[in-house]
Amino acid sequence: MRRTMLYLPGNNPNMLVRGHLFGSDGIIMDLEDAVAMSEKDAARTMVSKFLRRGDFGSTEVTVRINGVDTEYWKKDLEAVVPHKRLDGIRLPKADSPQIIKDVDEELSRLEDKYGIEQGHIKLFCILETAYGIWHAYDVATASKRVAAILPGGEDLVADLKTSRTPEGTELEWSRRMIVIAARAAGVDAIDLMFPRVTDDEGLRKDAQFSKDLGFDGKSVIHPNQIPIIHQIFTPTEKEIEKAQRIIAAAEDAKARGLGTVSVDGRMVDIPVVKRAHYILIKAGLEKEAE
Amino acid sequence: MALNALGRDIPEFIPGYGPTKLYQGAFALAPSANYHGPKLRVTNPDCTNKVLPDIKAAIAASGLKSGMTISFHHHMRNGDYVVNQVIDACAEMGIRDLTLFPSALFGVHKHLIDHIKSGVISRIWGSVNGPIGTLFSYGGVENPAILRSHGARPRAVMSGDVHIDVAFVAAPSCDCYGNINGTQGKSACGSMGYAMTDCQFADCVVAVTDNLVAYPNSPVSIDQTHADYVVAVDSIGDPAGIVSGTTKVTRDPLRLLIARYASRLIEASPYFKSGISFQTGASGIALAVTAFMKDAMVKRGIKGSFGLGGITSYFVDLLRDGLVEKLLDVQSFDLGAVKSIAEDPRHIEISADMYANPWNRGAAVNMLDVVVLGATEVDRDFNVNVNTEASGELLHGTGGHQDTAAGAKLTIIAQPLLRGRIPCVTDKVLTVTTPGECIDAIVTEYGITINPRRADLLEAVKSIHDVPVISMDELADKAAAMAGPMEPVETTDRIIGVVEWRDGTVIDVVRQLVKK
Amino acid sequence: MKTASAGTLESMDCLVTVTEAAPGSGVVIELEGSSVSRFRSAMEKTVRSTLSDLGANDVTVNVNDHGSLDVVLEARVETAVKRLRGEK
Repeated sequence: MRRTMLYLPGNNPNMLVRGHLFGSDGIIMDLEDAVAMSEKDAARTMVSKFLRRGDFGSTEVTVRINGVDTEYWKKDLEAVVPHKRLDGIRLPKADSPQIIKDVDEELSRLEDKYGIEQGHIKLFCILETAYGIWHAYDVATASKRVAAILPGGEDLVADLKTSRTPEGTELEWSRRMIVIAARAAGVDAIDLMFPRVTDDEGLRKDAQFSKDLGFDGKSVIHPNQIPIIHQIFTPTEKEIEKAQRIIAAAEDAKARGLGTVSVDGRMVDIPVVKRAHYILIKAGLEKEAE
Repeated sequence: MALNALGRDIPEFIPGYGPTKLYQGAFALAPSANYHGPKLRVTNPDCTNKVLPDIKAAIAASGLKSGMTISFHHHMRNGDYVVNQVIDACAEMGIRDLTLFPSALFGVHKHLIDHIKSGVISRIWGSVNGPIGTLFSYGGVENPAILRSHGARPRAVMSGDVHIDVAFVAAPSCDCYGNINGTQGKSACGSMGYAMTDCQFADCVVAVTDNLVAYPNSPVSIDQTHADYVVAVDSIGDPAGIVSGTTKVTRDPLRLLIARYASRLIEASPYFKSGISFQTGASGIALAVTAFMKDAMVKRGIKGSFGLGGITSYFVDLLRDGLVEKLLDVQSFDLGAVKSIAEDPRHIEISADMYANPWNRGAAVNMLDVVVLGATEVDRDFNVNVNTEASGELLHGTGGHQDTAAGAKLTIIAQPLLRGRIPCVTDKVLTVTTPGECIDAIVTEYGITINPRRADLLEAVKSIHDVPVISMDELADKAAAMAGPMEPVETTDRIIGVVEWRDGTVIDVVRQLVKK
Repeated sequence: MKTASAGTLESMDCLVTVTEAAPGSGVVIELEGSSVSRFRSAMEKTVRSTLSDLGANDVTVNVNDHGSLDVVLEARVETAVKRLRGEK
């Protein structure tokens, strides 16, 4: 499940020690935007040591490295890949299939060098330009490592030559396109973080919108946001119970060789059964088919 | 030397304290003597006005001499002026070698350090914090501090362990004959709970007020039959230090996480049903627990019977919203609580005796279902330390910790596993304040840890799916692994603090630190 | 004398300052902060072993600690030494 992925500034020991305790599905130790230029070296060393010695429970552990357009990205990978606890890399400015291929190659080289299973480290690609959004499907399919694609924020708004609005109009269609491309490519879609950390009601609205669009989850910048997002992204008991009845009815019909399935007096066809399985997967009651 | 029931080494006699009675168990000792009362007095019927011109006049009239014991309550908290003013006056009058018997001291009382060093104050029987605590810890005071809980303090007075010669009572509202309340005036503090026993048992009572009102004052918390003298001063305290504006629930994610876990434990316990009574302090985590409990109570349609202890406006909101029927208030923390106790008959003022005294016909803590407390350390036997810090310094009083833990059906210690690098769960606490037999659960950011004595709670937590349940050994091991090896605290043999249990036995001692 | 530092005074961090010393003067460690009363040996050990791994021999290390775990202390010492050497 990737309902929530919590950003932890890479140069902040307090958050690195405690971040995984807040119950998010994943954490992102950030070497990029949360770290000042003058502290890139300190953050890299800190995150590297935490990966080697820290305890993160069963959370999905990722690191957001600096983009391939910087001098830092190779040093970042060299510092974090060797530690077996790393599950994935979040790549900013992942705006073309070529960039994905270059990073994939570097990861393969490092996995080989440090005796890590080839392909183990996943990629989470942030698309931060119009070109990136337009080629989202190609980026998502550029490597088997790609686990998810994500829409950019500020940088994308600038590239679209518009500005931020309270309603979020400027990024809405970029977000929708990410979902479409992700589903077409068979990867996850993780939505934008919600910046106003004290606005619980605003977060609720935004998370509901993310869910309705079809996203698998959201990035998170403050632990207090996690329970609210989980509540919205986790199926309710009612939804789970109904899904279980639908699946039971479908299996019963199949066993009896019946063509149609009926639940609560209404005919239920294949897409509905599929959605019921998806709800149980979201609820953690079923495993996702590979 | 002998070992008490918790295996702590206690000498038979402690210089500056006297012969010791060893702690035998949380409920082992019962009283067998009578109350130890004050002198009978008479106020001449011709005297219709007990007001004296100033504090010095009152001290002179009280007969206070060097070597005597004086008491103060702590309802003025960190805004208090009275303790410092009285001690300053004693010093100027040449009165020395005093035993100070406060119900608690605050940072503002660091002013007393010079008087301690010069010998105006020779003994402190009460909490010693901040610079005063450090002074004691490194051997700067000849006689050990004696630490008693809020409930043990009235017990000690009533049983004669402590004899109060003069009680000085900061009184937010007082008339010329000594009728006192705490809810009116510019220095209003709400409940006067910690002053009541002092007034009943001291040989002489001096009310110090900045709000002299017409006779007879009403309402009356402490009545005229106790007051010997009244002094009017400009100000008894700084309102900003007496009460805080409103207590707000923390937004710190770590505290909220721990609070949520604690609330889930309470919800899963057998006590989470209509009529539940609870006490949480004003600390960040404890207040947040109340907030989570409130949500759960609303969801399940549960009404509480009473809230107890130090009352904040958050608790007052619960009363107003009908989530709790009554409040029993021994200390009002903020303006909302002060206003409520003055206006709402369901918000009841109680004495420290009624709150927590183990040797009366039943204290309020006995009726308590749930209490959420803090600690500096907890050990593998669930013993709790609130008095000394990792450095070994004696920096905190006992407060109501022992009393509520002993009385409540469910006692929860909620705190982070580490404070910085210092682990809060250790193999053996440096100082025992409250014994493991009174502690039911520890809640940290790593989950819920149940005392194996409570098979019923171990069973109950099986129904909790969204909070980790972790054994004490796992928790202590984790703390040790994260913190790394610790050097022991280096002390001399000299005892600088005596920690009494509720019944006056010695549960532990604090020894002098070696200066590094 | 060349000096460099790493870290902050935030909770659970430490500010480590390393200063080049004359060749042959060895390692001098100064510790201050809340953890020192119980973790002095452990902290000195970590500082020494980190310096040793980096081949730093003649240096004064000042640690102003605010509750850093061992992994954090190690990271800050390493970063400070690398900065002293002009590595980025």
